[in-house]
Amino acid sequence: MAERISLEVPATLGALSTIRIVLGGVGARLDFSLDDLDDLFLATDRLLGAALDWEELDSLRVSVQVDGSSLQITAGRFGSAQLREQVAVTPGNCIDLCTVLARLVDDVAVQDDGECYNVVITKQRTESAA
Amino acid sequence: MTGRDERRVNDPLDLESLPGQARHVPDDDEEEEGGGAETASAGPAADREGRGKDDSEKLDQYLLRRYHLHGDRKAREQLITMYLPLVRSLARRYASRGEHFDDLVQVGAIGLIKAIDRFDLSRGVELTTYATPNIVGEIKRYFRDKGWSVRVPRGLQELNIRLNKVIDELVPKLQRSPTINELAEAANATPEEVLEALETSQAYNSVSLQASPNGESGEEDAGLIDYLGGEEEAYDTMEDRTTLAPGFAKLDKRERYILHLRFFEGLTQSQIAERVGISQMHVSRLIRRSLEKLREEIGDLDTPMPPRSSDDER
Repeated sequence: MAERISLEVPATLGALSTIRIVLGGVGARLDFSLDDLDDLFLATDRLLGAALDWEELDSLRVSVQVDGSSLQITAGRFGSAQLREQVAVTPGNCIDLCTVLARLVDDVAVQDDGECYNVVITKQRTESAA
Repeated sequence: MTGRDERRVNDPLDLESLPGQARHVPDDDEEEEGGGAETASAGPAADREGRGKDDSEKLDQYLLRRYHLHGDRKAREQLITMYLPLVRSLARRYASRGEHFDDLVQVGAIGLIKAIDRFDLSRGVELTTYATPNIVGEIKRYFRDKGWSVRVPRGLQELNIRLNKVIDELVPKLQRSPTINELAEAANATPEEVLEALETSQAYNSVSLQASPNGESGEEDAGLIDYLGGEEEAYDTMEDRTTLAPGFAKLDKRERYILHLRFFEGLTQSQIAERVGISQMHVSRLIRRSLEKLREEIGDLDTPMPPRSSDDER
């Protein structure tokens, strides 16, 4: 059974530190490299930072699932159409959220959840590490 | 200044001996302008004997009178020089908080100069008594305005500095980015401590240009300013799509270059660090800062939610 960790933190930028610490702990156990972990931290920060810009949230809900040599992070439940568009569409030469996520993690998906949606990002361990 | 004089001036907590360098503390009336400075710097060997606090106070008062009553700038300069050890001593108390020691001394020196300039001769207090709270106040004000945005324990700051070195050593050795466990082993720390130390690096607001890239304060280390150097040709040859991207005008050339390498060339942070000649942790900070600038710039073009209150900011 895949390991799953669920977090609910206040909807503030300061609370992202807690999420990074948890991601770091799990990533370290999976022998993620420092580069991989920093990419994961940055991707999560950008996604949740954008969510804080576009959503009126009381708290951020994030779950981390360990699957072999990859980490899957699910963040939600979001309702903002602008955030959804930013995650999914890149307007060309812009280093926007979509481009940043695409470069930093291996997969980005939007999963509908009733009237809301979750954003799922997946980071695979770089095999040259350890 | 002789070698012995130099040693004494730089010796913290040796305050009493410093003014005691005066072979003779003249009355205000018997000395020509500039004579005080000359007298006070002479004869260090003779002063140790029979010169104590009284002499230093007399010299202080003499120099303060020279400055405040006669506008003698040399007397002011000599007071500053004499009391620099006090500044160093007080600055050292705050040296573990992540700021470069020399920066703290400079800030403390501003407090000292203010104390000398504002000193009231009629109040009959010692300069040390008046200067100490001024120096400490200036240093505290500096910490309030700059430096670590949150209080980071000394142990974590030191580990952070060690990690910077360890990363720079391990990347070429392993030919890849190290794992947390490898960093922990090399830095003689636990993986949890490594993660915590890496997290603290995000709490740092500013980097002194005089600080060495690895965060140490050794005088032999080159400062960051030495790495800035001239313009890198490659900065100008990046593709137009990068330079034309929205918000890029707000970034300097090096920030644009690093974002280009990361997001268009696909280089890892370690590879960028090697190419640009800075540490991986510095690359990480620069990418974060640049993306934040872009977000703010592009965000201005959109209409996001109203800004969060300041206490939300980390």
